[in-house]
Amino acid sequence: MRSLDTPRGRWIRLRMGVVCGLLAFGLGIIVSSGWQLMGREGEQWRELAEKQRQRRLHVTPKRGTIYDRNGSALAVSVEAPSVSLDAVELLRGVSPQKVPVVARDAANRIAAALQLSPAEVERKILAKRRFAWLKRRITAAEAEAIRKLSSKKEAGEERVRGLVVEGEGKRYYPRRELSGPLLGFVAPDGEGKDGFELSMNRELKGHVEQLRGLRDRSGRLLFADGVQDEQVLAGHNLHLSIDQGIQYAAERELAHAARTFEAAGGSVIVVDPYTGELLAMASWPGYNPNDYGDSEPEERRTRGLTDAFEPGSTLKIFTVAAGLAAGAIEPTQKLFCEKGLMAVDNVTIRDTHPAGWLSISQVLAVSSNICSAKIGLSMGGNKLYESLLRFGFGQQTGVPLPGEASGTLRPRGRPWVQVETASASFGQGISTTNLQLAMATAAIANGGELMEPILVRKVTTATGEVVREAAPRVRRRVVSKRVAATLAEMLVAVTEGEGTGTEAALDGYQVAGKTATAQKTDPATGRYSLDRYVASFLGFVPAKKPVVAIAVMVDEPMVEIAGGAVAAPIFRNVARMALKYKGLTPQGTQRVDIASLANAPDPANAAYEVIRQQQGKKPPVQVVSASGPVGAGSVRLPDMTGWPVREAVRRSVELGVTPKVVGTGLLARQEPGPGGVVRKGASVVLVFEPAT
Amino acid sequence: MRGRAIGARSSLQVDMPLLLGIVAIATLGVVNLYSATSVYIDAGKRSGLADIYVSQVYWIVVGSLLAIAAAVIDYRHFERLAYVLYVGGIASLGLVFVLGADIRGSSRWIQLGSFTFQPSEFMKVLTVLVVAKVLHDDPKTEPRTLLDLAPIFALTALPVALVMAQPDLGTSLVIMLTVGSVLGMTKVRRQSLLWLGGFAVTVPPLFWKYLMKDYQKARITSFLEPDDDKTGAGWHAFQSKTAIGNGGLSGEGFMQGTQNQFGFLPDQHSDFPFAVFLEDWGFVGGVVLLALYCFLCIWAVHVASQSKDRFGAAVAVGIGAMIFWHTVFNVGMAMNILPVVGITLPLFSYGGSSAVAMLVGLGLLMNVSMRR
Repeated sequence: MRSLDTPRGRWIRLRMGVVCGLLAFGLGIIVSSGWQLMGREGEQWRELAEKQRQRRLHVTPKRGTIYDRNGSALAVSVEAPSVSLDAVELLRGVSPQKVPVVARDAANRIAAALQLSPAEVERKILAKRRFAWLKRRITAAEAEAIRKLSSKKEAGEERVRGLVVEGEGKRYYPRRELSGPLLGFVAPDGEGKDGFELSMNRELKGHVEQLRGLRDRSGRLLFADGVQDEQVLAGHNLHLSIDQGIQYAAERELAHAARTFEAAGGSVIVVDPYTGELLAMASWPGYNPNDYGDSEPEERRTRGLTDAFEPGSTLKIFTVAAGLAAGAIEPTQKLFCEKGLMAVDNVTIRDTHPAGWLSISQVLAVSSNICSAKIGLSMGGNKLYESLLRFGFGQQTGVPLPGEASGTLRPRGRPWVQVETASASFGQGISTTNLQLAMATAAIANGGELMEPILVRKVTTATGEVVREAAPRVRRRVVSKRVAATLAEMLVAVTEGEGTGTEAALDGYQVAGKTATAQKTDPATGRYSLDRYVASFLGFVPAKKPVVAIAVMVDEPMVEIAGGAVAAPIFRNVARMALKYKGLTPQGTQRVDIASLANAPDPANAAYEVIRQQQGKKPPVQVVSASGPVGAGSVRLPDMTGWPVREAVRRSVELGVTPKVVGTGLLARQEPGPGGVVRKGASVVLVFEPAT
Repeated sequence: MRGRAIGARSSLQVDMPLLLGIVAIATLGVVNLYSATSVYIDAGKRSGLADIYVSQVYWIVVGSLLAIAAAVIDYRHFERLAYVLYVGGIASLGLVFVLGADIRGSSRWIQLGSFTFQPSEFMKVLTVLVVAKVLHDDPKTEPRTLLDLAPIFALTALPVALVMAQPDLGTSLVIMLTVGSVLGMTKVRRQSLLWLGGFAVTVPPLFWKYLMKDYQKARITSFLEPDDDKTGAGWHAFQSKTAIGNGGLSGEGFMQGTQNQFGFLPDQHSDFPFAVFLEDWGFVGGVVLLALYCFLCIWAVHVASQSKDRFGAAVAVGIGAMIFWHTVFNVGMAMNILPVVGITLPLFSYGGSSAVAMLVGLGLLMNVSMRR
């Protein structure tokens, strides 16, 4: 065979040639299709590969925490697992004829594990999507059942593939009802609804949109482009200007008054007059955002800014301020109050306390409509309108919360006629929000500068870097220092002697303030209602160098309607609490160590203790027992001092003890004391006293 | 030619180009297997895959020892024993049906202690031996008739039928094509050729209708209509194409092929090591690898053309054809120009029986080469 020269040899050579030709042909096809795939179409395939790897991340980054001004968490996200389905993976390798059978079987087993409808699960499987949620926020038992279903060890060849369990943030509000309407809540899809959760949703939620991550076929996150730390994805933290302790006091006092006077709603706003920071913003009714499903939209409004109302007499503060600033009146001037009746055009204006000649200070103290109207009329409608505008009325304050109302100064859209100027002077025919009133009051308190309201002091990343920080900002000077000081002195008279706001007076402090009892318009008739009022109080304390300005508004109180009786006590109690909390004490009393208060388990309650002590009431009998293990079947009682009846009873029932209620008001004493260990089912005596 | 005594080893020369070619491919194969499974090594997951490159090394060592034996023992001993070996192979194929371990719907393996052994891989080599033996014993030079070829057909049909019954379509196809390639070296009468052509046209449709399993049909239909079902039966081929395309001209680099490393590429160690290699090394690497396989095939034909007898020539062509068809089918299915039929890439795919059988076959080629 070696010789290839013979005819046979040539034959073999030809054969070799043919074989090599075929070989080369096959090779050519392979190489050319390789070139096609890798060279010519390469870009498309690379894009496709990229898409497979860089699927959109379905893990929502951890939502940011909302803190109060002292760093106490008001809204936090905790991990709760969710289960999703990769239907393609589940059906991989199943022949097309068998798909319906396999899908039905898998659907039944998954549905049983998660308590879902089998038909729904089957639909999701047959949709053959690479990702579909099966159930969000599953329980530990459900997660365990899913793990068993998909584990090779436990289910063997019968296992269901393509089930993915991953952590997802569940929102939790540790302080429950505290500032519920302000915070809002988060829907299961991770979107914030209401309050800060809505208005700051983008920042709280994190950067899911910009993020591309690499995932392997089983959907595990391998790493993300340019993101080393998962915390970078997490949402930003909000640091509110709200002070949990003051907020608690404001909510408690408001709720107490609203229940006592059977009101429809209410709002208390506490402002630091020099910085414009809102220390509290209480709304009533409120709700617990942990159970937002049980709440009504009514309860979720931050009433201080969503509800505009006719302010009534409290607006006289700003009429007088405008008059003084414009030089229309002199501080020492006396005005004739027409003995209680004055006709303007065809309308008669009345005073509840008819009077003759009154000083400006007395006009405010007895709240004369006639003299206020005279001041307004002497300035002229346009001038008064412009002054009120400068105080911030009729425009949104711009706080980062949804649903802010602007209020209206000119409801008919044209300059006021005489009667309208007169009624606007004492707060009728115009509407304002409580927040506008609070900010305007703060402007008088701080010497005449309208501050920009601050609700969010600071936004930080999850790693603690400051994204932005709010600094006090003066919107404009509305009145001179001298006018503001004069006005403050006049307002002190309101809470003293014959004034309408004596209920707001605080021992050891000079309180500047003004009451209002405004009739509401009846929507049915368009006239002023005879039985529906807004009771309100604006004030600041101490009058000389104020620490807080407070605006109180109670909507439709029934039992009692006067601002001096309904709203002023709320002001007093909240102010006292806030002053204490801010570390201020009246002369001659002991200074409170704020640091120890802030570190107390419940700062608000701790502060109440101090107040009670200083009022000479019984020193707290609440001796807190030493901590230690609690045996099975026993519970440790919390410190319920200062709690309203409802909450104390509910908590007791939750714990499994039987409450025995004595008295009404706020809890003064409990037996056994805080920290005491009792067996479940044992009775606990709760002694309540009316709020001071 | 026949004067030289059997076993005259003193004049034997190792065929260095062949040896280097084999060593190069085997080395690349193990390295590629490491890349294919490295993600499991790192993750410590699916430990079954994590250390297969180590066992592949063991199998290559075992295969090399057997290959040395196959190369050193004069092939004329194999010629004499061809029928005996063939019967042994057929018997082990029959045993599969008795002792077979069922994996993914087909039983191809025999469990021997802790090892599994796939007789069909060895049957390819044994069929080549027996066909060479028949051709050797019938040294006529005039064109052969169908009757002349009948024993060869019979000897081929038996293992083909047994392998197909396992069922293993790919392997039986490779056996047929390999025998066909060997027969390509002999003269066949024109009339007989026409008959054979007729068979080739009529048999596959019958086959499709009566003998093929659903999953096999699905693979072929999905090959014919690739866009039909990217997530079902066509998924393997589609992922393989994606990985290859992702490699581009110069590749993503060793162990950097993302489609493989992130687990998108299925069966990366058995069916698609070529896709792993292309994703890592790109078009350039692929051409180099194909050149190595080409070299083996051409070298086998070269050895055949110089062999001193018909048996040696037929064996050399048979081994070359076996490597050729394996490579063509595996590479073809990786690029989706041929259906996915589960044929291994010689010395690249993971599999003890496959690697050992390949090395034994290459040992025989070496044997013929050393005694030409």
